[in-house]
Amino acid sequence: MTPPVLEVQDLSISFGGLKAVAGFGLTLRPGALEGLIGPNGAGKTTVFNLLSGVYTADSGRFVLDGADLRGFSAYRISHAGIARTFQNIRVFSHLTVLENVLVGFHQSIRYGYWDAFLLTGRFRNDEAAMEQQALALLERVGLASRAGDNARDLPYGDQRRLEIARALATHPKVLLLDEPAAGLNTVEKEQLMGLIAKIRDEFKVAILVIEHDMKLVMGICERITVLDHGEVIATGTPKEIQSNPKVIEAYLGVS
Amino acid sequence: MSAPSQNAGFLKQATITAVFIAVLWGVDQLLQIGLNPYYVRVVVNCGIAAILALSLNLINGCAGQFSLGHAGFMAVGAYVSATLTTVYPAGEFFQSPLGVGVAITIGGIVAALAGYLVGLPSLRLKGDYLAIVTLGFSEMIRVCFLNIPAVGGARGMNGIPVHSSFFWVYLWAALAWVFFWRLLRSGRGRAILALRDDETAAEAMGVEVSHFKVVSFSLSSAFAGIAGGLFAHYQGFIDPQSFDFSRSVLVVIMVVLGGMGSLSGAVLGAVVVTVLPESLRVFESYRLIIFPLVLILMMLLRPKGILGHREIWEFFPRRAK
Repeated sequence: MTPPVLEVQDLSISFGGLKAVAGFGLTLRPGALEGLIGPNGAGKTTVFNLLSGVYTADSGRFVLDGADLRGFSAYRISHAGIARTFQNIRVFSHLTVLENVLVGFHQSIRYGYWDAFLLTGRFRNDEAAMEQQALALLERVGLASRAGDNARDLPYGDQRRLEIARALATHPKVLLLDEPAAGLNTVEKEQLMGLIAKIRDEFKVAILVIEHDMKLVMGICERITVLDHGEVIATGTPKEIQSNPKVIEAYLGVS
Repeated sequence: MSAPSQNAGFLKQATITAVFIAVLWGVDQLLQIGLNPYYVRVVVNCGIAAILALSLNLINGCAGQFSLGHAGFMAVGAYVSATLTTVYPAGEFFQSPLGVGVAITIGGIVAALAGYLVGLPSLRLKGDYLAIVTLGFSEMIRVCFLNIPAVGGARGMNGIPVHSSFFWVYLWAALAWVFFWRLLRSGRGRAILALRDDETAAEAMGVEVSHFKVVSFSLSSAFAGIAGGLFAHYQGFIDPQSFDFSRSVLVVIMVVLGGMGSLSGAVLGAVVVTVLPESLRVFESYRLIIFPLVLILMMLLRPKGILGHREIWEFFPRRAK
């Protein structure tokens, strides 16, 4: 078996007296596509915030390719190779679609300030190369034709896909997608899930996705982790999850 | 890209620079002969204001922070450079035009350090709170100079060699323009613009937000300091009152009026805020009422500023190629 790319052990955080996430654990292998589900308020987004450095966990560890990243700030985690999208869309609204993706390439920039002021060959080459890669990413998510538009002018679904392209620009090993299909209609949702599966194959990236639509999660994810009240109540293949009594209880309540 | 085309690029840049300097020098000579000194003064003040507005635009317009202390950085640049040319060492070299240029540059560097210090609280504070800290800092600077007898205290500094002119002011203004223009079109500039729109997302994309906040404060203050140095060596006289709160506010007005984040907007705002009070002199003291009224009206009609986020040429349809 290949060693896991991301190994999360016993991750916990409390806000005041509330234990938002307690003892969270997860193992992602390279190229895995897994789901994270749970009722509202279960702590799914908090897990993402911990893994991307928005919050620092009180205890536990998460190891990416052998390095424990707990306590790292968000930008260093991004450099290390964990990228994410946001549940409430966070595109850079006053930048163009292309510039949004270019920001994702931030850590790949090699030229210095002077190169930019003197417009050296190095600056021009690097910028041209980045622009080409950014356009390729936009092409991949189907937004190449809107590269010059302001990001805020894109429809909702396009903004979500822009966030995915921007996250891919950071060259992630692990991609965290926070409800990428929220607010989309059924057709758009299916297209998006197809896109996510393709991205996994093409970019050799492990993907962890939060999604409320059970049918979609069950359809594309190989394994699913279920969270309730901040704790993992079940892990397994979609089939195992569907028949797990604890999961049914968490979603439907005890009769 | 191949080597020859790179050289051609540099050659082109050098040529444009040389032609620009020549034209600027020519205009300077013409102004000295042909134009009423009062108008020359207004034009030069526009240039100094443009440098201030361009630099503040980086903090308030591009990085999304709020500084209300730009006069403080201007004071640092003005006092440091004027001290070098007038008090110590004040030798023959620092009295010469070249020495004044060096002194102004040093003033800019010291102002950048001051900007770095003020940038640090910006890591924890936002909006109004940050504005109050920057305001407090600029007042501190002013009060410091007010109480240092060596730089004249409340009486100010006299006899500063007058070596900045239309030529030097507009050369620096052009440099400021090119500096900020190219900064904003590079990866670092994109990082600064990204943190304005969404700090959390910028950080998640690998942008070290705290670093870029402090960098924008430092770079902005450097040019504010240079504007201060130019101001001191144009007036020949400075006192702490020249750098009080109202000057900071005027620079903020320039940026907001022109359109936050737009370079041409900052320049336009600087020109309007400098020229308008002068052109209202026919109304005598009533101009003190009319000027604010005009500003209020403009902000009511165009809350995003004259140009908004856009540059001035984006308002005209592009010519077909």
